[in-house]
Amino acid sequence: MLSNLLYRFRALFHRKAMETELDEELRYHLDREAEKYRLAGASPEEATRRAKLALGGPEQVRQQVRDTRGTKLLEDLAQDLRYGARMLAKNPGLTFVIVLSLAIGIGANTAVFSVTNTLLLKPLPYAHADRLAILWLRSPGIGIPQDWPSRGQYHDIKTRNHVFEETAIAIGQSHTLSGLSKAMKVDGIEASSSLLSMLGVKPLLGRIFLLEEDKPGRPETVVLTYGLWKQAFGGDPNLVGRNITLDGKPYTVVGVLPRNFRLNHEVMPTVGGIDKAEVFLPLPMDAKQELNYGGENFNILARVKPGVTMQEAQADISIIAARLREEHHRDPSFTISVVPLIEQVVGNVRSAVLILLGAVALVLLIACTNVANLLLSRATARQKEIAMRTALGAGRMRLVMQLLTESILLGVLGGAAGLILSVCSLYVVRKIHPGNIPRLDELGMDFRVLAFTFAISILTGIVFGLAPAFRASRVDMNSTLKAGGRTSHSGGLNVKHDKLRGALVIAELAVSLTLLAGAGLLIRSFVRLVNVPPGFNADHVISMQVAATGPKYEEHPQRIQFYENLAQRVRNLPGVTGQGGVSALPLTPSVGWGFMDIEGYVPPANQPELQVDMRLATLDYFRTMEIPLIRGRFFSGTDTDKSQPVVLVDQKMADRFWPQGDAVGKRIRPGDKSPWHTIVGVVGVVKEYGLDTDTRMVVYYPHLQRPGNTMFVVARTTTDPVGLADAIVHQVRAIDADVPVYDIATMQQRVHDSVARQRFAMTMLGAFACFAMILAAIGVYGVMSFLVTQGTSDIAIRMALGAQRGSILSLVFQQGMGLALIGIATGLIGAFSLTRMMGGLLFGVSATDPLTFAGVVLLLTLVALSACYFPARRAMRVDPMVALRYE
Amino acid sequence: MADERLELPQGTLDLLILKALALESLHGWAISERLQQVSREALQVQQGSLYPALHRLERRGWIKAHWAISENNRRAKYYELTRQGQKQLEAETLAWRKLAAAIGHVLDMA
Repeated sequence: MLSNLLYRFRALFHRKAMETELDEELRYHLDREAEKYRLAGASPEEATRRAKLALGGPEQVRQQVRDTRGTKLLEDLAQDLRYGARMLAKNPGLTFVIVLSLAIGIGANTAVFSVTNTLLLKPLPYAHADRLAILWLRSPGIGIPQDWPSRGQYHDIKTRNHVFEETAIAIGQSHTLSGLSKAMKVDGIEASSSLLSMLGVKPLLGRIFLLEEDKPGRPETVVLTYGLWKQAFGGDPNLVGRNITLDGKPYTVVGVLPRNFRLNHEVMPTVGGIDKAEVFLPLPMDAKQELNYGGENFNILARVKPGVTMQEAQADISIIAARLREEHHRDPSFTISVVPLIEQVVGNVRSAVLILLGAVALVLLIACTNVANLLLSRATARQKEIAMRTALGAGRMRLVMQLLTESILLGVLGGAAGLILSVCSLYVVRKIHPGNIPRLDELGMDFRVLAFTFAISILTGIVFGLAPAFRASRVDMNSTLKAGGRTSHSGGLNVKHDKLRGALVIAELAVSLTLLAGAGLLIRSFVRLVNVPPGFNADHVISMQVAATGPKYEEHPQRIQFYENLAQRVRNLPGVTGQGGVSALPLTPSVGWGFMDIEGYVPPANQPELQVDMRLATLDYFRTMEIPLIRGRFFSGTDTDKSQPVVLVDQKMADRFWPQGDAVGKRIRPGDKSPWHTIVGVVGVVKEYGLDTDTRMVVYYPHLQRPGNTMFVVARTTTDPVGLADAIVHQVRAIDADVPVYDIATMQQRVHDSVARQRFAMTMLGAFACFAMILAAIGVYGVMSFLVTQGTSDIAIRMALGAQRGSILSLVFQQGMGLALIGIATGLIGAFSLTRMMGGLLFGVSATDPLTFAGVVLLLTLVALSACYFPARRAMRVDPMVALRYE
Repeated sequence: MADERLELPQGTLDLLILKALALESLHGWAISERLQQVSREALQVQQGSLYPALHRLERRGWIKAHWAISENNRRAKYYELTRQGQKQLEAETLAWRKLAAAIGHVLDMA
């Protein structure tokens, strides 16, 4: 076995030496054989002749020896590659066009695949990430698709489950880090000690939390992320053991987490809406807190035991949920669902990514079809060469192999160019990345992407090469060679003579129609989406979050004073026409809600108390945002803690409980210990969570009666709102340098960002559909031009017989549009079935929107018409004399 | 004369080459001569098919080659049996004998 291998290696890499040896060996044989005959009395010439005769043709012997070496396949391949490279170099224009189309197709595929790879295939950067899950409460029956669990529920799950190896509870909150040159807001997660250890974090410095820290009464400790450690403390290696000031209180730093560790909003969305945790704090709980089933504000993460599936875990947790439903009188639809962490992260982009992957595969398919068409034209031109090879004894398979080698070579060249393109496009994607697509910052190439690119390059070469190769190898050598190089069988001016090409064009058009329909639907959805009125006027409004937290702002009067002071200063800034503040601004991750008790309304049995969104708003917030007043009045300066408590409700709430329009004057309260609040006005509905999301009912409290710590400050300007941001920040600092300002953005930017994901999907699919359409147009053009070239004599004869130029024109159009219409009809069928899968991405448009489909059909028909136009014009200008003489 | 000589049955050339090399190492031409001599000129060994066979046997590791100076003072490629080739020769000889005996037996019955 080994000798065999060594021999083959030698045969492959020392081919020259072996050939020389063989020559010498054969020469020696001939000499000795001749010598034998000479000794027997033959003349030298006669002896040589007889020796040669005895041995047989030396070339045949050599070839037979070569065949026994077992390297024939490889040597053929090398020969084909050399030949193929020569052929490609001889025809640089064609090669360039082919490689370019393939590069676009393969490059786009590589780029989208690396997105898919990053988002869907790469495991999350945690230990045993495939066994991690996040738990959510669900009550679909009463319109709560997803809610955070409580500490009591965590306690039950932790103690009663049989499926989890480890469980952890956490809650997010923003803090003010002071004591540095300027105060800054930091996002924090308070968590049981099991959280970081479950995620497999090894601290860079110091330690993570201890089991003892889950109980109250321990000194306050904090663990910093790498980013905060670098940014706020300059990476001070001696920070561990020292104190930092959070919300005005000292905390001892006990550890720093490694650089690559992150626990973002997309992985664990906390109630506080914090985006990226920068500090971790212990979450001590006493026995009483452990059994607190109110306050559903926590995240629960868990890791299933090895060998336990997520389904089994779900079944076990459902039993616990059923018990909780009984014991705590939850609604009948109440469940706790176990969501694999990877689903949590990418669940809502999965369909979009898969649709893009499908779309980009279709683009590649069209590119392949085009290249196949180009190669078919060339195959016609190469008929003579192929006939010659057949005549010299090349087998059909050998010819197919040779042509396939060429097309695979093209595929690989295209793949290499595509790889460069995709690296560039990934760079662009990272630049323009909308920020709210999970994991995109991890985007990059890895071996899986490279393997994918290599595989599709080869596959592409085979796919587009197969048909032309088989077609070309099926040559009637007699007629081809006899015809003396003239294109042998003119098909005349009829596509039906070339079914293969016709079919390819039909396929191209059908596929591009499908893509165009998908893109069209997304564009229509997007237009609908951005035209959804947000309920406020986003023009010329700057907004930012201000956090007056800590011991200085524990008392209400201090908070009121701070924000009144700030309002006064902002109002006096040049260009400002209005200002205001609200605890949770629309289209930001900030939230706030609670139970609401309505006077005279008893919720039906088995339903939890009514929940509504709650906002604290300053006097001028509504006027500044231009949120309309429907009935009653806005807040006024006389609504203070001395006067009766008042609220505003939004129209959604008013319509639900007081459909007769008599909401003003009615009373509500946020809990039975609270005093009744009188509704003094009804305001318009505001899109709080996104333009495509229905809002919940909202109750607004006057800031003067219920002052908050952390407020979004908004200001409307007559000038560029961005320019005002610095001035406002400066005013905040002037009042108190320890109050951090963050999340500064214009309202227009927030609206824009809120549809970033949809814009991203639309842009990508739109670009792919454009590629597809251009490629299909080239395909139609290519086939029609080829047809006209082939049919020149046919046209000339018709003209010589008196055909009008107009009738020639319409003949070409008839042929081309015949193909186009079949393609479009086929595409419509495909599109109708495929766009249904896009349901989740559409907004306000049905998956079979007739307007979109009609528009797309019209567009593609126009494109096909213009692709036919140039060949048709050329056909019309054929000079019969010249053409016939040439033949 | 040529018509009286026997064509070699498929696959037997390898066996004959191994046998020829069992005594001493030989170069290609000498093998061809040796085969004709020992078969008393009765076998028709195509000289042309000798070389592919030699390379095939070398690839299988049953023989190995080296260059040496021949009896007429020229460089020639000598082949010799390897240990594996020796075993192969014994195995094939045995197989051939059995086959020949069996066929002879069948033919005798008639």
